[in-house]
Amino acid sequence: MTNLQESTEQAERKPARFVPGQPDMWVFVLFESLLFTGYFSVYLIGRIQNRDLYLHAQADLDLRFGIFNTIALLLSSWAIARCVQASREGAYRDALRDAFLTIGFGVAFLVSKVIEWTKEIRLGNTFTSNEFFQHFFFLTSIHLLHLLIGFIVMGVAVYQLWSPARRSQQLVETCATYWHTVDFLWVLIFALLYVVR
Amino acid sequence: MSSPLSRLAWNFRHNPKRELWFAWWMMDIFYQLYDVLFFFVTRVQPPASPAWSTPMVLQWFDTRHYGILAGFGVVFLISGLCAPMNALLAYSMRRMSVSRVFGYSYLIMYSLSAIPGMLVMAIAMTVGALRPDRNPEMIHWLFDFAFLSFSGTMGVFMIGSLVWLVAILIDKNGVFPKWFGYLGLCNALTEVVVAPAWIFQRGVFAWNGAIAWWINMVVFVTYTVCFIVLLRKMIEREDFGDGVLPDLPPKVERSQPDSVGAMR
Amino acid sequence: MTGTFNKRLAIVWLVLTLMTLAYIWLDHSADDDGVYRASTVVTVAAILIALVKVRIIFREFMEVRHAPALLRRLTDAWVALMAVCLLGSYFIGSALAG
Repeated sequence: MTNLQESTEQAERKPARFVPGQPDMWVFVLFESLLFTGYFSVYLIGRIQNRDLYLHAQADLDLRFGIFNTIALLLSSWAIARCVQASREGAYRDALRDAFLTIGFGVAFLVSKVIEWTKEIRLGNTFTSNEFFQHFFFLTSIHLLHLLIGFIVMGVAVYQLWSPARRSQQLVETCATYWHTVDFLWVLIFALLYVVR
Repeated sequence: MSSPLSRLAWNFRHNPKRELWFAWWMMDIFYQLYDVLFFFVTRVQPPASPAWSTPMVLQWFDTRHYGILAGFGVVFLISGLCAPMNALLAYSMRRMSVSRVFGYSYLIMYSLSAIPGMLVMAIAMTVGALRPDRNPEMIHWLFDFAFLSFSGTMGVFMIGSLVWLVAILIDKNGVFPKWFGYLGLCNALTEVVVAPAWIFQRGVFAWNGAIAWWINMVVFVTYTVCFIVLLRKMIEREDFGDGVLPDLPPKVERSQPDSVGAMR
Repeated sequence: MTGTFNKRLAIVWLVLTLMTLAYIWLDHSADDDGVYRASTVVTVAAILIALVKVRIIFREFMEVRHAPALLRRLTDAWVALMAVCLLGSYFIGSALAG
């Protein structure tokens, strides 16, 4: 057994504990999750007061959009997770490729979202149509805003990875943490808007 | 042996940070007064409902007649306290490694924002309460005008928050911790959420709604408490230099009270 | 080392995607020939599956698995808190609505 193999096995068995990215970003993640949980709770309570209205309105949603969007963001999270690993290893070309993939999947989400909104508006469902669509457009818009900020954040990550003069691993991890938040918030929104009855 | 009064006098005359402390105390006093005046004296917060009929609005004014006139009278007197507060915030940006543009834009934005953000409501409400026998439609109009201008003009505050948070995130002098920059993002986003108040007369997005007011308030109060505490820490750490703002030295047990209180 | 990490990430993604697809089945089971019906079972299941996915994302994608105990406990507490708020809103709301 070579020394490299031994130390690799040791590292596998007992990884050193570290906080991914700036601890500051985790404050944001936890706070924002609470905030969204507040919005979700308001939605659920509203839903129960008015079950029939919500069920009827919800029938206008197409589950396929929701599934596609969720998978797109899961792919983007996968890509940025790989990016962080690659960057940690020093494989910056792979990391950059993964970062661009992340952005690409994010754009797929964005395009799909716009198409879905257009479809709903054509059906006559707008922000002011009824309570369900108030929540639908509100939650999806505020989430989309987070996604757009995510593009700026990914811009920072790409900027870091590009030149050997920068490449702060902590900053790349911080950007990844933000992006994963956009992903898991959507996971919750999807379940609540499309599936919950 | 020095008394608190003589220490205060010494600080007043010699402490290099006296203007900063003055601004901080003005900010603290302003927020305390603001809370008491808006929530307990005038009782215009938590907000009334946009869905009310005119008779209900008239009754609302009736129960608050003296509170509104007295409370907002005081608001008009103390509104100038906003100035040292905004100056302190702009000062924090000046201490950062970022361009002066940040501080100046913030100052301009916030100087203007007190008008729709506080004064217009105060004026509309006092006009509404002044003559209870005025045409009821007119009073209802003033009611809508007051609440919409108060809640609906979040744009300036949002942009101001963004200016400050971008400055904090790119600052190399460590004037504020990065988590406060990210919290500013939460605050700015929650202000976006108030925008639908212009459209809805009832429900969670009305100006008194669960989302547009209540949840928004929780975020805003958290943010405000954080920046009051962080500004205090900034003043304590201030070294009037241009580089990284040093952290506070660890607390050391003092065996006797110091006669000179200027080190902070 | 990259090989093992990448393989693990791929498996995680697969699990999350399969859980997402499970929603299709859940969604269809909720309907009576295309007419939407209220259902506590579907609602609770949907919320719980989502929360499990969130925890997986925390642990695997966000690397909380390798984080100090405080962060691991905090994120778990957060998932629990979200469960309480969401399920609580649903059940208390139902009780209040009668």
